[in-house]
Amino acid sequence: MLTLRMLALAAIVSLPASASLAAQGNIPAGQEKAKPCLGCHGQNGVSSIPGIPSLAGQRDQFIQWQLVFFRNGRRANPIMAPLVANLSDEDIRNLGAYFASLPYNTVVAAGTPDPDLTAKGKEVAAHHGCANCHKEDFRGQQAAAAIADQREDYLVQALKDYRSGARPSTGVAAMTEAAGGLTDDEIPQVAHYVATLGPPGK
Amino acid sequence: MKKKTLRAALAVGLPMMLAAALPMNPASAGDLKSYDSSKPSFWAHPPADWFLGDETEAQKGLSPIAGPATPTPLADLQNDIKKIKLPPGFKIEVYATGIPEARQMAWGANGTLFVGSFGATNVYAVTDQGGQRTVKTILKGLTMPTGVAFRDGSLYVIAINKLLRYDNAEASLDKMPDPVVVYDDMPPYVAHGWKYLVADKNGGVYIPFGPPFNIGIPPTSTSQIRHVDMKTGLAEIVALGVRNSVGGDIDPRSGDYWFTENARDWMSDDTPSDKLNHITKLGEDFGYPHCHQGNIPDPKFAMGHKCSEFTPPVVNLGAHVAPLGMKFYTGSQFPAQYKDNIFIAEHGSWNRHTYQGGRIERVIVDANGKNAKQEVFASGWITGQRDYFGRPDDIIQAPDGSLLVSDDWAGAIYRISYAK
Repeated sequence: MLTLRMLALAAIVSLPASASLAAQGNIPAGQEKAKPCLGCHGQNGVSSIPGIPSLAGQRDQFIQWQLVFFRNGRRANPIMAPLVANLSDEDIRNLGAYFASLPYNTVVAAGTPDPDLTAKGKEVAAHHGCANCHKEDFRGQQAAAAIADQREDYLVQALKDYRSGARPSTGVAAMTEAAGGLTDDEIPQVAHYVATLGPPGK
Repeated sequence: MKKKTLRAALAVGLPMMLAAALPMNPASAGDLKSYDSSKPSFWAHPPADWFLGDETEAQKGLSPIAGPATPTPLADLQNDIKKIKLPPGFKIEVYATGIPEARQMAWGANGTLFVGSFGATNVYAVTDQGGQRTVKTILKGLTMPTGVAFRDGSLYVIAINKLLRYDNAEASLDKMPDPVVVYDDMPPYVAHGWKYLVADKNGGVYIPFGPPFNIGIPPTSTSQIRHVDMKTGLAEIVALGVRNSVGGDIDPRSGDYWFTENARDWMSDDTPSDKLNHITKLGEDFGYPHCHQGNIPDPKFAMGHKCSEFTPPVVNLGAHVAPLGMKFYTGSQFPAQYKDNIFIAEHGSWNRHTYQGGRIERVIVDANGKNAKQEVFASGWITGQRDYFGRPDDIIQAPDGSLLVSDDWAGAIYRISYAK
């Protein structure tokens, strides 16, 4: 019984892997390469520095795309640029795999949710179809970032950068388009809502 | 004022009535969508609903997809291509790898293969020395330089709203010269603003202009194909009513221009079909946004027009298959029955519940567009219900008569050859 069940489980687990993207990163190699990252992004990939995003449990492909954008200069950032300049494609795949493997942070950095901001932010998220790519739990998929419980200050800046075109988007410019229509009021509302979701099922 | 009131009434009343009657029909409710494109701000920020917004509840979550951030490593790709199915006698191999977001290809006169890219901002040169291929990034920082062409020693690159010429290109791969802007009477929007170039023998080039959204009344200067003289920059509109076209070729038999066209989204998984079209007279209208696949009036944008007013497609290729680059086969390596056949790279779907496309289609058709037949030539890039290992996006014939296929997902180029 147990053996059969284990076999069945193994089959279920192996199916998505065989159907997914070709190149898989190496987690221990990524952990080694990630040492310089942790000073800012946090020892467990959970940032306690304003403006610096947490990376723990982030989507593998989102991490990889951002590193590619930093490396080729499309996402201009004077701190990140020299750190990623010499990363190989393999390094980038390993870093993506490592950060994706870390336990997701559900400690709300922003403190207690503000009911008014949360309600408005929820409306904004629905109106702009955020869940289309980021999913109902806002934990993302593929190259669409996990944004639930991300640092609020970082989310505000990211939305502004997408809106202005300062930051490139994957998915045929999906974020450029989605953020292009956000008003100055809506950005802090939706950022607050997403940043204070807390553990799923709460 | 009256118009406004009517609009308001429609917006409030019709969706409720129609939502009950036609739950699957996204386009029947509400106001006709139109856009004020008279201000530059429109072109900088096209409407946010250009690819999302019209979908039904059942279609929610079918979001734009992104490929892998880095090109697929050679060993993985060599394993992946074992899944490709081809007719007997044909084989596929990896021709070159490490080409992020590889798009249109063009041959230089001395055998350099130039390759555009999608978001990667690069143009690449692939050179071959005794079978050893080198990929070099020769241009960086261009906005969606998807389209490339080569004529009289010069490389032409189209980056959304600029047609650029780089002279003496093959001798300048280490340091490309500053470009000459050949033509820039084009809007700067990115949505469906990436383009394809088909140069003819007389110094002209065909350039498609997609509308900056899924469906709507196209702003002036979009939804058309122009023919531009690369010396003088003089342009004429050769086709109207075209949605997003990112591929075409000139029929060696007639000199006519044929092109692929991606149909509107969010009607359903199986309609409308993407198309292969043939221009036989200057300025003919292919139907967008009023009519799709030659026989489906748009639920909202038919606006009284009948499909019979427009030029029908030569072939309907299937819904969401995303036909992009295409070539007439003029080589002698393949069996004789392939002569003058059209090969089409189908990029594959992103918002169909089960992906289709992601393959090479073969179309057999007379020069006048009659007796068209189609069949799948190469398939297997789709690896699950909604998964790819690669997405073909352009085709070019090599001097030896084999076909090269670019793939912007795997960041690679394949070679398909035939031997008895």
